[in-house]
Amino acid sequence: MNKAAAAIPLVLWTAAWAQDPRAIVEESQRRGRANSQRYEGVLEVIGANAKVTRKSWQSFRLGSFGESKAIIRFTAPADVKGMALLVINHPDRSSDQWMWTPAIGRDRRIALQDRSTRFFGTDFSFEDLEERDVNQYDYRLTGEEAIDGAPCWRIEARPRHGKVSQYTLSRVWIRKADYVAAQYENLVKDQVARRLHQTDIRNVQGIWTAQTLEMTDLRRNSRTILRIEKLAYNVPMQDDDFTVQALRREQ
Amino acid sequence: MILLRLISWPYVRKHLLRSVLTTAGIVLGVALLVGMQGANRSVLAAFYQTVDRIAGKAQLQVTAGESGFAEDVLDRVQAVPQVRAAAPVIEASVETGMKGQGKLLILAVDMTGDRSLRDYNFENGDEDVIDDPLVFLAQPDSLIITREFAGRNGLGTGSRIAFATMEGPRQFTVRGVLKAGGMAAAFGGNLGIMDIYAAQKVFGRGRHFDRIDIGLADGVSLEQGQAALEKALGPGFNVEPPSGRGRQFESLLGIYTTAMSISSLFALFVGVFIIYNSFAIAVTQRRSEIGILRALGATRGQIRTLFLGESAIAGLIGSAAGVALGLAFTRSLTGFTGQLAEAVFGIPQNTREILVDPRFLLVALVVGVVTSMIAAFIPARSASRVEPVQALQKGKYQVLLAGENRTRRRAALLALALSLACLAFSRYRPLFFLGYLLTVTAALLLAPFLSLELARMLRGPLKWLRPIEGSLAADSLIQAPRRTSATVSALMLSLALAIAHGGVSLSSVRSLKEWMEGTLNPDLFVSASETLSAREFRFPAAMEGELEAIPGVADVQPIRTARVQLGGKPVMIVAAELGKIYRRIHRTIIAGDATAMDTLAPQGKGVVIAENLSVLQKLRVGQVIELPTPSGPLRMPILGIVRDYSNQLGAVFLERSVYVRYFQDDTVDLFRLYVTRGATAEEVRRQIVDRLGSHRRLFVLSNRDVRDYVTQIAHQWLGLTYIQVFVALIVAVLGIVNTLTVSISDRRRELGVLRAVGGLRAQIRGTIWMEAVAIGAIGLALGTATGAVFLYYEVQAIGKDIAGTPLAYEFPFGIVGMLVPVILFAALVSAVLPAETAVRSSLVEALEYE
Repeated sequence: MNKAAAAIPLVLWTAAWAQDPRAIVEESQRRGRANSQRYEGVLEVIGANAKVTRKSWQSFRLGSFGESKAIIRFTAPADVKGMALLVINHPDRSSDQWMWTPAIGRDRRIALQDRSTRFFGTDFSFEDLEERDVNQYDYRLTGEEAIDGAPCWRIEARPRHGKVSQYTLSRVWIRKADYVAAQYENLVKDQVARRLHQTDIRNVQGIWTAQTLEMTDLRRNSRTILRIEKLAYNVPMQDDDFTVQALRREQ
Repeated sequence: MILLRLISWPYVRKHLLRSVLTTAGIVLGVALLVGMQGANRSVLAAFYQTVDRIAGKAQLQVTAGESGFAEDVLDRVQAVPQVRAAAPVIEASVETGMKGQGKLLILAVDMTGDRSLRDYNFENGDEDVIDDPLVFLAQPDSLIITREFAGRNGLGTGSRIAFATMEGPRQFTVRGVLKAGGMAAAFGGNLGIMDIYAAQKVFGRGRHFDRIDIGLADGVSLEQGQAALEKALGPGFNVEPPSGRGRQFESLLGIYTTAMSISSLFALFVGVFIIYNSFAIAVTQRRSEIGILRALGATRGQIRTLFLGESAIAGLIGSAAGVALGLAFTRSLTGFTGQLAEAVFGIPQNTREILVDPRFLLVALVVGVVTSMIAAFIPARSASRVEPVQALQKGKYQVLLAGENRTRRRAALLALALSLACLAFSRYRPLFFLGYLLTVTAALLLAPFLSLELARMLRGPLKWLRPIEGSLAADSLIQAPRRTSATVSALMLSLALAIAHGGVSLSSVRSLKEWMEGTLNPDLFVSASETLSAREFRFPAAMEGELEAIPGVADVQPIRTARVQLGGKPVMIVAAELGKIYRRIHRTIIAGDATAMDTLAPQGKGVVIAENLSVLQKLRVGQVIELPTPSGPLRMPILGIVRDYSNQLGAVFLERSVYVRYFQDDTVDLFRLYVTRGATAEEVRRQIVDRLGSHRRLFVLSNRDVRDYVTQIAHQWLGLTYIQVFVALIVAVLGIVNTLTVSISDRRRELGVLRAVGGLRAQIRGTIWMEAVAIGAIGLALGTATGAVFLYYEVQAIGKDIAGTPLAYEFPFGIVGMLVPVILFAALVSAVLPAETAVRSSLVEALEYE
């Protein structure tokens, strides 16, 4: 049996299996998994009045999906340089977050009581930054659609009872070719509140990753573009670097 | 109605001046009532409004008295399942130094999580302001202000505002402007929002929060949320809706509000006598009219209704004018009350809006009308009893009948005997107050008789002064006691009030001075706030060492004061190194053993409490009190009771180490400093400012500064009382004008005859002047005597029921000495117009009169 023939049952099996929306999402998450991740992000917030503000940060993530720890450290502009955010994700509950403010030498725990609020003036909300646990949503495959020319599955994710979310429903478009999410739409009472469009998808160390993320807040008519640069996976990192003490130490 | 139009209206038109004077008593009484109530209400409403607006959607608030609590309490609160959102808050006010702008109330919150409880309505959306919430958090100088404040001061995003912080003077950058309305209306628009962690440094709060605002999860009732939080936090914390803060403030203002209301009603009470007098005179003058009406078939009821109707209309007009005048008073009184509340309680005030409850205005109108009708009731009844035949016998009715006089005297003696009996059982406080009421009644019943007797006694001296004018003046008073007795009663009550209040002031200030002599004896005071009553800024504990290192400093005593709830009332905890303090002060021990106090209290084995606290909450030595603290209830035996005036609702003196341990708070509000022998306070003061002033917010006050400040607050506190006494005196003087006007009108023919037989205008004028002075002198004599008795009751009531601080009975001879010329002069001035009317009236008309 040549290799191609041998691959047919596998493709058939995968296609059939892939019709399960939950499985598609799980596969998407599995493919993005890495021991660690590091990148430099450039953030551009374009307000409704076309005013643009820019920030840069370095991001470090240790651990896999759902149990990761991450630090975002702002590097520019000067008046926010040194500000850092530590996120400890948990598979079964909301993440814990702390922020370090160098000017007053203080860390603060960020209460996620109002996760619908904007993440420091961007169009992302705090909730948008959390990793989604597949067990907390019910999925439904609602069709197929091309995004930026790439065929995608369109899946609806509805928070299960007990899951607190600002969104009543989310739609995700997952590319059939590489299982990378190309677009998200988050709805509040049947109205699209935010849309995240992921482009510039490249293979970095075997992991297909979107390098440009554009979040649009349709209610405010503003958008935020995050450009990921110098992305690297499986970089050596230690648990100790992802603690509140480490936040302070780095100063 | 027909009678009012045909009979009353012509009489009013004919005696317009007197009608105006009659209603003046009601006008002033109601004005004072409305003004005081309006001012209190406006200050309270502004406070409630500020509390309400800055509370936003918070349903409950967690507090632990004024000491605040450590940050970890937030985690405990957030862990309560019934809590949806918990936002820590620090609240303090700062002087911006901007002319005429007053203080800026700083609401320090954690902007990362606070928006779930408060709507921040920014100008132009978020972009232009917290266009960068990250910058706002990253820069500790970030400040958000309201559009109103920005507009008033020409500020905008990027502007700088300077104020003193615990790290020295700092510039703050406006990074946001709140739209008008909503939260921005709090504290009269003088609101600033700051990051809470930056505020901890600015205000020297360490790692403490003042309170936590709570939003409850969906479906959780207020009671369920409160119960869950109380269970999770323990008894040291107070969990209540935001309105609870308003109620605490109201409770602090309670003594003041009560005192003001009593005094306002007293002013109205004085007005009663003026109305009574006017109507009594009107009944006398209109006896012939009444007789004719009765002869024509008018019933007694109709006559009574006629006079009561007149009084109701006079009351209504007077009350309406009083309400209008009161509303005009309200603004200035509001400012005064707000300043007083801030000075005494250290709670910042900014009342820009005057709020008057329309329902209270209606109540004031009703009170004015009812007061007027009560005052006119006796004259109306007398009018209804006039027989047509008696009505023709003019002049007789002015004389007090011997039987009537005797009845009054007997009633007065009975009232006096009963009041003495009540005094004997004054342990039962209602009996004490009943005794006071009976004494007032006795004084009023005796006033006509005593006026008559005093007028008789005055006849000799008056005659000696001016044989003709003196005799005529005295005879006028003697022959028509009914005409003068009510005015004398009004004057007597006003003067009694002035003397009693004056005595209380004198005694209060003297007691305060004695206390200051003994306890406020440090050479210098180093305070974190501008005033000693404010506790918004705090020094770190380490500053004690910094001060000790300054040459010339012999002793440094750190003090931390904070209000906590005890027995449902906000009392002051004074945390100090008691051993150090006791070595330096001379205290007045009311109860308890000095040795036990000196040894056990500094070891933290008990507390010493202020005398007023022991009286107000009926606490005794040996009893155990329970203070709520963030670490749980602190139970301490009372080791002693000392005289202390540092807080109106009482103080608990607690060893500092115990306070620090239980309240987890080692900050300091105030350092008491003693200088070494040979060093001067001024030199040490200069050194402190030089060494610490650049990097610390501090105010170094000399002993004299502090004493002056305390005395000034005391006078400020008593200030409104003085205004009320002044109004009561004006009402009484108006009464004299009224009486003299009537007297001249009554004696028009007599005065005409005098002028016809060669009496000079100067003699007529002199007669009226002397009559006025005589009324003043009689009022002074009776007022002084009554005031001496009232003073006793006031001193007792203040000591045992209101303030809990015993005052020495101290008769204000100086005030009486000042009142004598003032009243006699006022009486003389009040006689000028009536006297001129008398001497300028037509002789022919005067002789034709009657």
